[in-house]
Amino acid sequence: MRFILVDRILEMVPGQSIRAVKHIRPDEDYFNDHFPGFPVVPGVLLTEMMAQATGKCLDAEDVDRGKAMLAKITAANFREWVRPGEDCILCAQIRKSRARFATADAWVEVQGRQVCSAELMFSFMPLDRFAPNYRDTVLEDYLSKQSQRGQ
Amino acid sequence: MNANEALEWIAEMFQEPVENVTPGTPRENIPGWDSLGVLTLMAEMDETFDILLEEEDLDALKTVNDIIELLKKNGKLT
Repeated sequence: MRFILVDRILEMVPGQSIRAVKHIRPDEDYFNDHFPGFPVVPGVLLTEMMAQATGKCLDAEDVDRGKAMLAKITAANFREWVRPGEDCILCAQIRKSRARFATADAWVEVQGRQVCSAELMFSFMPLDRFAPNYRDTVLEDYLSKQSQRGQ
Repeated sequence: MNANEALEWIAEMFQEPVENVTPGTPRENIPGWDSLGVLTLMAEMDETFDILLEEEDLDALKTVNDIIELLKKNGKLT
């Protein structure tokens, strides 16, 4: 299983807000176990989706502080089941974005209904700690398209 | 916020029983006051009290009382 849990960024204001999408493929392995006969997306994966989308919004900021890494789930609520085949809209609003930390409110919408939400805190890891060829292709694709539109 | 409420706030922030948190409690006696605790402290100070902590502020925080004094210095304690 790949651990890229954001398919595409729909809209973003770097360092402020983001909306992205993740399609839940019906053939995901984890549905065999979570749960037989009642397949639902695990809350930990929904949380990671929110964190990855929020991280991209922070990473897109023009600040030299490294990559945003989830440091703390201050609160999380799961209100409705997310089923195979559904599209999750991943939303985040950054509350504070500082040199050493950032905080955000994040949530997931399915068919216009909020299915879960979380308060997240991030720290930052220097980019030289990652593999030299590491790239966030989802973020790069979005920024590239935005750049082309602006030209 | 008064001094007792500040102690409760600090205890909750570091996930420590409030009875273990007194002004004289040193940082090393609060397990939750680790690197994540420092980030939490920075975020809480920023979001709750509009206090932006600098590195030198953080270095100077050795006891619970140091946090309380920081709140006092910024006019956040009654």
